[in-house]
Amino acid sequence: MSQVAAVRGDVRRAIGREAVREAGAGDPGWLRARREEAWEVYAATPLPSTRSEEWRYTDVAKLLPLDGLEPAGGGAVRGAALPDPLRRAMAQDRESAGRVVEVDGRVVSVELDDSLAAQGVVLSSLRQAARRGVGDIEALLATRAVPASDGKFSALNAALWSDGVFLYIPRGVRVEQTIRLSRWVSRPGTATFTRILIVAEEHSRLSFVDEILSPDFDSATLACTVAELFSRGGAQVQYVSLQRMGRGGVHLANQRTLAERDSTLDTLNVALGGTVGRVDLNARLLGPGANSDMLGLYFGDANQHFDFNTSQDHVAPNAHSDLLYKGALDGRARGVFRGIIRVHEGAQGTDAYQTNRNLILSDEAIATSLPNLEIEADDVRCSHGATVGQLDAEALFYLMSRGLGREQAERLVVLGFLGEVLSRLPLGGVVEKVTRAIEAKLGHV
Amino acid sequence: MNDSPVLVVTGLAAGVADEDLDILKGVDLAIRPGEIHAIMGPNGSGKSTLAKVIAGHPGYEATDGSAELNGEDLLEMEPDERARAGVFMAFQYPVEIPGVSIANFMRTALQSRLEDGEELDLFDFQELLMERMELLDMDASFAQRPVNDGFSGGEKKRNEILQMAVLNPALAVMDETDSGLDIDALKVVAHGVNTLRKENPEMAVLLITHYQRILNHIVPDRVHVMVGGRIVESGGPQIALELEAQGYEEYRKAHAA
Ligand SMILES: Nc1ncnc2c1ncn2[C@@H]1O[C@H](COP(=O)(O)OP(=O)(O)OP(=O)(O)O)[C@@H](O)[C@H]1O
Ligand SMILES: [Mg+2]
Repeated sequence: MSQVAAVRGDVRRAIGREAVREAGAGDPGWLRARREEAWEVYAATPLPSTRSEEWRYTDVAKLLPLDGLEPAGGGAVRGAALPDPLRRAMAQDRESAGRVVEVDGRVVSVELDDSLAAQGVVLSSLRQAARRGVGDIEALLATRAVPASDGKFSALNAALWSDGVFLYIPRGVRVEQTIRLSRWVSRPGTATFTRILIVAEEHSRLSFVDEILSPDFDSATLACTVAELFSRGGAQVQYVSLQRMGRGGVHLANQRTLAERDSTLDTLNVALGGTVGRVDLNARLLGPGANSDMLGLYFGDANQHFDFNTSQDHVAPNAHSDLLYKGALDGRARGVFRGIIRVHEGAQGTDAYQTNRNLILSDEAIATSLPNLEIEADDVRCSHGATVGQLDAEALFYLMSRGLGREQAERLVVLGFLGEVLSRLPLGGVVEKVTRAIEAKLGHV
Repeated sequence: MNDSPVLVVTGLAAGVADEDLDILKGVDLAIRPGEIHAIMGPNGSGKSTLAKVIAGHPGYEATDGSAELNGEDLLEMEPDERARAGVFMAFQYPVEIPGVSIANFMRTALQSRLEDGEELDLFDFQELLMERMELLDMDASFAQRPVNDGFSGGEKKRNEILQMAVLNPALAVMDETDSGLDIDALKVVAHGVNTLRKENPEMAVLLITHYQRILNHIVPDRVHVMVGGRIVESGGPQIALELEAQGYEEYRKAHAA
């Protein structure tokens, strides 16, 4: 379809009213209307500028030529023709209870254990689930978690999303093995918009790993993703995002977790690839006893730019959240962490922590850390802390005095530093995979 | 037994790198295979500086003299090269390395001693590590703990000797390993060191201490007294006993004169 037009030079735009109509072709009326509304919000919202607090260090206008991006035109690749890097990444995974493969913004395969399907677990392409109106999808999609009103890119995603994942875990169902999403972006200069919606009903259990990969690109290539995560009373959910795009990749992610009474909703964001990675993560603790561990790990080199904007909203009393983001920065890489704990009125007995630590490996790398607190209740325990440090010369000497070469010693210190994050969420296969990816990167340093 | 010295230090002067601060002011020392030399001396006299200059700490600079290990010029070598040549220093203040397990650290250290392309046999390594931990009466769970992270003072010191036992050096420099060890732990560590010496009779030991007690267990061939960056007296083990009784006052006076 679009391929031919593109080759003839009749270049289509990934972003525009026409693209919204195309994205919604075949959608039910409610969804087409939602897309149109989202587009209006997008059009009325100015592009985030570095004059705003939240985007001070990430100049989207400069990093991403929004008007020049082409549609990704996904759906062409079938299972048999999956690219090697994606297949290798998938082969590294341990057992899965289910897997979705997404190529250029379209789901190309969905697999789910029969036993889970029999228990009522739904794992589906989001596009198909929306068209069939599965479960509460109309009520939950781009409404309570990441609505268009959330910001420029949330609106853009809500208008243009082409596919993604819908996952529903019924009450009391415990999914012991991980469910995985493996995404691939293949074409330079394109934009993909995808989203996932996960609902874990009461006392259910789930771990979900969302991995995005691409080759290196010679021009900015956008992957704009949204994750809407709901854990109902007593549910336990772990969500892991592994961003391993190639150079030129621009990943803009909006994630929101809504944790109800006595549920656990933990997240881990790993950013290793791409040229620009921006994650907006908002954890909402909506019921007493809710719990969110929020982990982050980033390792930048060359001109990589990672920007994390996190918030912990304690709406209900007696909830707990604990954030730890750690990053190592080499070359001319830049890391930005901006986090806020908001304890709302009446959220007594809140336990909320926030820590960001950075390790600077070169003279030109920069880390900026902006932790923040906003407390409107009085019986709370909160702390926040940030550090930016260099490799400890004493530690390097100690390791070298046992025979390790300087590079080897540096590798161990960096791996140890970042490894603390992984040890907090020891999910099958993730630790090994991320460790290997960091090691590979350290080899290039 | 080959009798040429393992360590020869001649007229060694050293100070803090990039600063005009002399700490060692001409140290002479020769340790033959299998010998144990103890260095005692008041706080701040330069004992740790000597140990660190031998190990290659980048914060110190040798300004005069030489230090050789089995005839090789140590001062020209990077710290890791010295370690691979056989130098080991048990730190007075061991460093914490968060997130790096003792097992991983020691495996990497042993691997670094192999030729390119040669792979450490992991089974043999595991066996060696477990055997050494047993020798030092350490619980097997320590192997997976991050190096010195959250260790008690005594555990850190014991962990230094564990590393020494795994790496089996030609020259072991022990900088106040006894400080911070309880009486039982001191015996365990001393037993560990003596066992190593039996296995490797040529190992030379330079033992820095403030207390006579450890020298009852690890009996020195020579005792040196360091004051103000110089060795001001050398002799047999009885020097340690005299010091225990009299302190350093006399040496200080003589040195000041
Ligand atoms: N990096 C440094 N910067 C400044 N002064 C230093 C430095 N290292 C050592 N010194 C000084 O050099 C002197 C010798 O220090 P050193 O640590 O060698 O003493 P020591 O004999 O080991 O003492 P102790 O018995 O207390 O361990 C001290 O006065 C110390 O303050
Ligand atoms: Mg000392």
